[in-house]
Amino acid sequence: MSGGASFRAHLVDTLWVVGVFAFVCAVWEFAVKAFDLPVFVLPPVEDVVADLLSAPGLFASHALFTVGMALAGFAVAASVGLLMAFAVVSSRILDRILMTFLALLHSVPKVALAPLFVIWLGAGFEPKIAIAAMMSVLVIVVDAVAGLRSVDPEMVNLARVYRASPLAIMLKVRLPAALPHIFASWKVAISLSLIGAIVGEYVGGQRGLGYLILVSQGSFDTPRVFASVLLLSVIATALYYLIALAERMFAPWHVSRRAGGH
Amino acid sequence: MSGSPLVEIDKASKIYRSPRGATTAIADVTVQIGDGEFVAVVGPSGCGKCTLLKCVAGLEPLSSGEIRVRGERVDGPPDGLGAVFQRDVLMDWRTALDNVLLPAEFLGLRRADFLPRARELLGLVGLADRANSYPWELSGGMRQRVAIARALLCRPVFLLMDEPFGALDALTRDELNVELQRIWLAEKNTVLFITHGIEEAVFLADRVLVMDRDPGRVALDLEVALPRPRPIAVRDEPAFAAHTAKVRAAMPRAGASRAA
Repeated sequence: MSGGASFRAHLVDTLWVVGVFAFVCAVWEFAVKAFDLPVFVLPPVEDVVADLLSAPGLFASHALFTVGMALAGFAVAASVGLLMAFAVVSSRILDRILMTFLALLHSVPKVALAPLFVIWLGAGFEPKIAIAAMMSVLVIVVDAVAGLRSVDPEMVNLARVYRASPLAIMLKVRLPAALPHIFASWKVAISLSLIGAIVGEYVGGQRGLGYLILVSQGSFDTPRVFASVLLLSVIATALYYLIALAERMFAPWHVSRRAGGH
Repeated sequence: MSGSPLVEIDKASKIYRSPRGATTAIADVTVQIGDGEFVAVVGPSGCGKCTLLKCVAGLEPLSSGEIRVRGERVDGPPDGLGAVFQRDVLMDWRTALDNVLLPAEFLGLRRADFLPRARELLGLVGLADRANSYPWELSGGMRQRVAIARALLCRPVFLLMDEPFGALDALTRDELNVELQRIWLAEKNTVLFITHGIEEAVFLADRVLVMDRDPGRVALDLEVALPRPRPIAVRDEPAFAAHTAKVRAAMPRAGASRAA
């Protein structure tokens, strides 16, 4: 629990990550030199970095678009998913209908549906948001339902003793109890939304890192493809930690107990 | 001590049906609880004492018979009810004070009106300085004290306690028994207290009901006429032992019938 120890543990963790990353770069660099690989197959690390730095405005604007699509899709999935979870927990009939529908959706490889969304919604931002949302809604519903049902039945009984309305039981008893589950699902969902946004950019439109990867690949500009991929992994990591930060703010009891309990 | 009956349990039966058959949790239980009376129910596990409490709370419907509170048939939780369960079910995301205020919020009353009362109750259970602590920062005994304060917030006429000290160690349990008596003498609620501890039941109650199982029914209804307030040492007195002996004699012997 002590701050010093946790800081040192953090530092060790970070050093490991940096170390492994440096090792991968070294192997990469070595492979390029040793096998004399052409740039369009595997560009050297410095070419990728140089490309990133050569057009920061271009990368930033495409990255911003992709992040926007991923976040919008995630927001749709998070709110629709939560409402669906409320419905599933409240009614047996809705439980059957919605869960069957979601299982059906889950069985479809969602990437395969992406071209359909372009037909339905055009090449603007709508299909990208839709695909990003579709990618992540299932995990959100399933985890939120599990969370809403995880509440101690005795706590619900207590609320009933004081004649709490079904709405009050949902919002004041079940929802806070489900927050740890919901945040866990969000951590997975946010990266799925990012994948959805990129898939959406692959199949239509002229903006975003997905689009940038596609056109760079078309002109064998491999350093730019690598630069975009690198940027995407940085974005995915940042979004994950954004959710972790939100969890710390909105479910501090859970975070602190987890830290103290193990 | 007892005035007109506040609670009338009239030939109450509860049968649970499942694909594997029907289980009679309680059969033909008839009990009256006077206004301001402290009634303890003891019995082995599976004797239906918890079922009885859930039915009186209006949380579960009876299969037959009737329960009336202030002459009104129980059909959902009655007015002026307070409850403490075996698990304290405090909300981890709320401070002790916010947990105590919960009944007011659920009942749709103004939180601000109950703030002084909530602070007073935390003082009454000895936790005045822990109002802003979160449940995970409190010991098991402290958590159950918060649960008691929460139950008393809206000045319940009728307090249901379902093995509230069952999960605590013996020392904490004794301490809370003494405190509960003190609180009850101050607040003057009618209490239905479920426990499997014979000493605890005799120490706290005006009347002890012993329940037998298969099916759950009242085997003994014993008046406890020991003077109040009872010190913890009352348990060493012959009069106390005479009561516990009677209760113990009425308890179904362990292993005599199959466990439910």
